[in-house]
Amino acid sequence: MRRYTPYMLLTPALLFTVFILVYPMAQNLVNSFRDVSLVREGRGWTGLLNYEHVFGDAVFWLAFRNTVVYAVAGTLLALLIGLGLALVLDVHTGKMSSVAAGLYSIPWVISPVVAGFAWKWLLNDHFGILNYWLSSAGIARHGTSWLGNPHTALFCVMVARAWQFYPFAMVMFLAGLQSIPAEQYEAASVDGASPLRKFFHITIPNLRPVSSVLLLLGVIWSFNDFNMVFVMTRGGPINASMVLPVLVREFSFVHFDLGKGSALSVLIFALLVTLSFLYLRVLARRERA
Amino acid sequence: MKKILLLLPVALLALLVLLPFLWTVSTSLKPLTEVNRYPPEWISPTMSLKPYGDMFFYLPFSRYTLNSLIVASSATTLTLFVGSLAAFAFARFRFPGRKQILLVLLLSQMLPGASVIIPLFQLLKTAGLYDTHIGLILVHTAVLLPFVIWLLHGFFSGIPTEVEDAALIDGCSRLEALRRVILPLALPGLGATALFAFLGSWNEFFFALILTNSDATQTIPVGIGLFVGEFEDVWNQMSAAAVLFSIPPLILFMAMRRTFVRGLAAGALQ
Repeated sequence: MRRYTPYMLLTPALLFTVFILVYPMAQNLVNSFRDVSLVREGRGWTGLLNYEHVFGDAVFWLAFRNTVVYAVAGTLLALLIGLGLALVLDVHTGKMSSVAAGLYSIPWVISPVVAGFAWKWLLNDHFGILNYWLSSAGIARHGTSWLGNPHTALFCVMVARAWQFYPFAMVMFLAGLQSIPAEQYEAASVDGASPLRKFFHITIPNLRPVSSVLLLLGVIWSFNDFNMVFVMTRGGPINASMVLPVLVREFSFVHFDLGKGSALSVLIFALLVTLSFLYLRVLARRERA
Repeated sequence: MKKILLLLPVALLALLVLLPFLWTVSTSLKPLTEVNRYPPEWISPTMSLKPYGDMFFYLPFSRYTLNSLIVASSATTLTLFVGSLAAFAFARFRFPGRKQILLVLLLSQMLPGASVIIPLFQLLKTAGLYDTHIGLILVHTAVLLPFVIWLLHGFFSGIPTEVEDAALIDGCSRLEALRRVILPLALPGLGATALFAFLGSWNEFFFALILTNSDATQTIPVGIGLFVGEFEDVWNQMSAAAVLFSIPPLILFMAMRRTFVRGLAAGALQ
């Protein structure tokens, strides 16, 4: 009896895991080899046809490229902002630093939908405050539609995403900074090292492990991110800011082609599994170190 | 004086990073004539709380709020119940398969919503749970579960086994020991975990968007996210909705910031 207790305790949780993970994965795979539609009777097994449709779709390649840019560049930007703010917070101590850390974390706490909404309104072509400032400074013409322009839409969404993610990086970097032994800095001071030298030879190397974890986690999370793009641009204009998660919804619930949507889902999952294993390896290396 | 010099850049940075949110707050207090004015002003004499009242008439936000409360509180309760059973198993038993199951849980945290949404949609449709509170509650519970188990595992492991052994000697069963000894001791941890779960469900957008389809079930983020494209003429009321919606997360965050940060670190690094 005692031997089975842990498994009994785990059963409800495992049922939920089957419901959210195991069953959907299996069903997706089945869907992706079949013709499944939301609006008409499906035609049964079609082999690799759905995958051919996905790969033959120019929007897929555009969305793939956009997702990579969005995930990698957006994460790098978030890491830079996070590191900058963590350095600022590290200088100060006590209550003020704690209050400031709280304020700087707000973008991470509010819902991604609210974040997307706030940025969309900030960037509004006629009444947004950003356009007013930019046109007053002579940088951009008044009425510039940043989200309506195919050349700038993805960039804007990426900045908004970085804005949501940087507090996470900031908190992690701050923890990293505070765990660097003071002796290392003291020894460098005795040797007469400049602050810049200390930064590049002590701070940066010490932050390398946490940076690699953050980079991978950030890329994985942004790769999965549906919210920011959907709320700000719906993937437009003319797919200029389309990313893979939004495209799944487009295929499945706008074009009603569940088979093609499932094929794309399977591809996204394969990409994600690769990234996750990379993440686990980085974690494992950290533990050994 | 030196203190102020140090404080100034920190405060300016706070204003800068909060700019999008502050602009939304400013808009939420303006009448439409002020919203559609150029050049825009941060503060105007005509500001009032009127948009906060109007939004409840223009869009069904009272219904959305009720839906959000029902879904988030039910999902939290269910996740905590299922999660503490599982976390107890991981924290107090050594059994074959333990490592593998933990790994699957860890991986399901990386789960791309887009990769599971179509089968979930089909399943809920077949079961008659599409566009219902229960359907969304089950999905939110499943999504939140790995992280909740992880957090609770940490809290339970921190409780010394001797306390529990004493209860076992007194004739309690393992489950009674969990209920009578471990859970009360882990109460602060349970509270923090409940907050995480509540916020996760409260802010969740993707599943709620696709698995609900009517005013009777849609949550606040769906209301905001869907109408951002369509009701662009009432930016002040939409801003008011966005601000109101952000208040519970902000309050919970202020109250639990330490645990929040610790949980964050635990979730990513352990």
